[in-house]
Amino acid sequence: MTPVLALRGLSVTFRGAGGRVPALVDVDLEVAAGEMVGLVGGSGAGKSTVARAIAGLERPDSGTIALDGADLATLSRRQQRDRRRQLHLVFQDPYTALPPAMRVRRIVAEPLVIHGLAERDRRVHDALAAVHLPPERYLSRYPHQLSGGERQRVAFARALVTEPRLVLADEPTQMLDASLRAELVDLMEELRSGRGVAVLHITHDLALAQRSCDRLVVLRGGRVVEQGPTHAVLARPAHPYTRALIDAARRLHHTA
Amino acid sequence: MTGTRSRRFATAGGVTLVLLITVALAAPLLAPYDPSARVGTPFASPSGAHPLGTNDIGQDLLTTLIFGARISLLVGIVAALAATLVGTSIGVVAGYARGWVDAAVMRLVDVVLALPVLPLTIVIGVFLGPGLSTQILVIASVIWAGTARELRAQVLSVREHDHIQALWAMGGRAGHVLPRHVLPAVAPLVVPQFVLATKTAILLEASLAFLGLGDITAKSWGTMLSLAQARSAFLTDAWLWWVVPPGVAIAVTVLSFALLAYAFEERARPSLADRFGGSPGTADLRSAVPGEPPTSGGDPLVIDELTVAYRDAVAVDRMRLRVAPAELVALVGQSGSGKSTVAAASTGLLPAAARITGGRVLVCGQDVAALGPEQLRSLRGDRVGLIPQEAMSALDPVRTIGDQIAEAVTAHRRMGRAAVRARVGELLSVVSLHPDRARDYPHQLSGGMRQRVVIAIALAAGPELLIADEPTSGLDVLVQAEVLDLLDGLRRRLRLAILVVSHDLPVVERIADRIAVMHAGQLVEIGPAGRIRAEPDHPYTRRLVEATPRLRLPEAASR
Repeated sequence: MTPVLALRGLSVTFRGAGGRVPALVDVDLEVAAGEMVGLVGGSGAGKSTVARAIAGLERPDSGTIALDGADLATLSRRQQRDRRRQLHLVFQDPYTALPPAMRVRRIVAEPLVIHGLAERDRRVHDALAAVHLPPERYLSRYPHQLSGGERQRVAFARALVTEPRLVLADEPTQMLDASLRAELVDLMEELRSGRGVAVLHITHDLALAQRSCDRLVVLRGGRVVEQGPTHAVLARPAHPYTRALIDAARRLHHTA
Repeated sequence: MTGTRSRRFATAGGVTLVLLITVALAAPLLAPYDPSARVGTPFASPSGAHPLGTNDIGQDLLTTLIFGARISLLVGIVAALAATLVGTSIGVVAGYARGWVDAAVMRLVDVVLALPVLPLTIVIGVFLGPGLSTQILVIASVIWAGTARELRAQVLSVREHDHIQALWAMGGRAGHVLPRHVLPAVAPLVVPQFVLATKTAILLEASLAFLGLGDITAKSWGTMLSLAQARSAFLTDAWLWWVVPPGVAIAVTVLSFALLAYAFEERARPSLADRFGGSPGTADLRSAVPGEPPTSGGDPLVIDELTVAYRDAVAVDRMRLRVAPAELVALVGQSGSGKSTVAAASTGLLPAAARITGGRVLVCGQDVAALGPEQLRSLRGDRVGLIPQEAMSALDPVRTIGDQIAEAVTAHRRMGRAAVRARVGELLSVVSLHPDRARDYPHQLSGGMRQRVVIAIALAAGPELLIADEPTSGLDVLVQAEVLDLLDGLRRRLRLAILVVSHDLPVVERIADRIAVMHAGQLVEIGPAGRIRAEPDHPYTRRLVEATPRLRLPEAASR
């Protein structure tokens, strides 16, 4: 089966005042339909850059990004936009990812407006129900009237409203209180099993990744250093960096 | 406070402006004479018939003044409108497009801003010939650049916002993103820009008119000044009545626009006033408050029945907590539970809106609330060290870290240069950084190293108590473990009392001696870390412990 997402030899370079900095080097990565893949690594490893490149916010220097087998670079602009409807990016910080002056109804409907899709009310209701926010209570609220957890749910509702096949979740739990993190990961798991949405879950929290991901991809310094089934990577880490990550997580989580 | 002050400014400016505009609109009704009619003797002194006297050809000066408001305001407002429109469009397009469009437009803006405004307006004015439309054109073409620059900067920052990036990620095009998201975001800034532009335009109009580039048939206040000068009014006593009133009128108009612009700008700034609007919950947990006996002894931090309120909302309710020397206490709770307010109260850094309404905080035996600003300052550096949340923003990016640590060292005591350098090296090694790092700038350090520097600064004066507000949030796991281990080592080596505020229970439970759990402003449970984790008493603590995902590793993982 063709994977929903396939990255082949993806490289991204940042050009700044300090010269050229390679952000991603030769990254290969696949996400199959309905699969949840954890992209893990420390800060600065390039995790977010992967998501931004897939979403079209960074321009790759080389390599291909294929959605459902179609290389985005070979498509016309219009076709690219249509393809991108199949994926959605959820940002780290729920406090900045939602436009502050809009009500939830408009926020969630935004992708429908952008892609010119009809039946907006029904789709918005469905999406909010899918993230367990009763539409009648939330539709006319503003982001500042929501808690961090609720905002992130709204962000997920917006991600789901076009019924995409892939959600890129960039540390969606990072800004949430510890007790809400597990809840959000459970929600992602539910979306995956209930709706068959594939998820690329970017996180530095191995415990969270372990809870939900089928496979782990470990990124360091812009390169993939290890990938494999979650239990295998955690039980028999091949790369010293993976071992260091596991070690640190164990120390932090007080796990013997 | 600022809110009421800006409202007073807005009222003063607004009322004056409404009055001026009414006068301008109703000029034919208000003015006693026809502005072009010769109604008195030349240079007549003020009298009942002519309150401001007459000019050289016997026209009534009060009438000229009233009609002058029309021209001055018209030119000012139309020119400002044009300038704001042009400046906003150019600024928004440049900021949004970036790249070569931005570079080209901004060089043009730089050129316009660098040109001396008055000579330029005179040159263009002379070239195009006098007249109202010339004035408007000239004024607009020199003042749009400031607006463009301001708006471009705003758009540049707005386009980096996550919610704009999210739109691009969704496939949104400029045609969608610009009008629906970027423009509304910068619109609040356009209003003060317009008002400021009007102010400048009225001043420029007066200058142009004074220099004879106005329309002689449509007299503005500037034209009045110009005529007074040209017609030798200064040789007679009449100048007083001819020159002072339009001068005052210009000053008052400009001032009221400036006041209004100031008020608008204040309003456009995001306010934190609503942040603590929500009440921190009900008292259903009150019965469970265990607290601690207020017996203090020599503990560096004693919090006794502390109650803090934001306006009517109670943020911290009768909190009791004590930290002994060499003890590390973790204060855990969700955002909004009041834990950061406790930390702020312990250092005298409560926001202006918050008040201590009951109880007290004793730091090294001193009641924080009773100290003056100067005493607080010396307490903070000397006896209490603060570790703020974001290491990057806590450090000055353009100075070496050695410099910044040295500043903290010398802030509280005088020392020779060599002694300071030695102390900086010593502090760096205390936080396990090589003394050579003193020459580095913050951007040359990793996130964990920066947090170490921040800790070194907190230790500079040799405090007895450290208060760390979410010291590891935003750091990745590897660095979190490193920073916490450092704090743990410090309190043992230096016998420091440490209060760590965190929302992350598992992160702190490994190093804390005791854990205090806050919920809705109240202390719901406190006890030894092991006990809290293994058998939490309070239902809220239980939820907190259970909801936390933990890494479960098969045996093979321990390599």
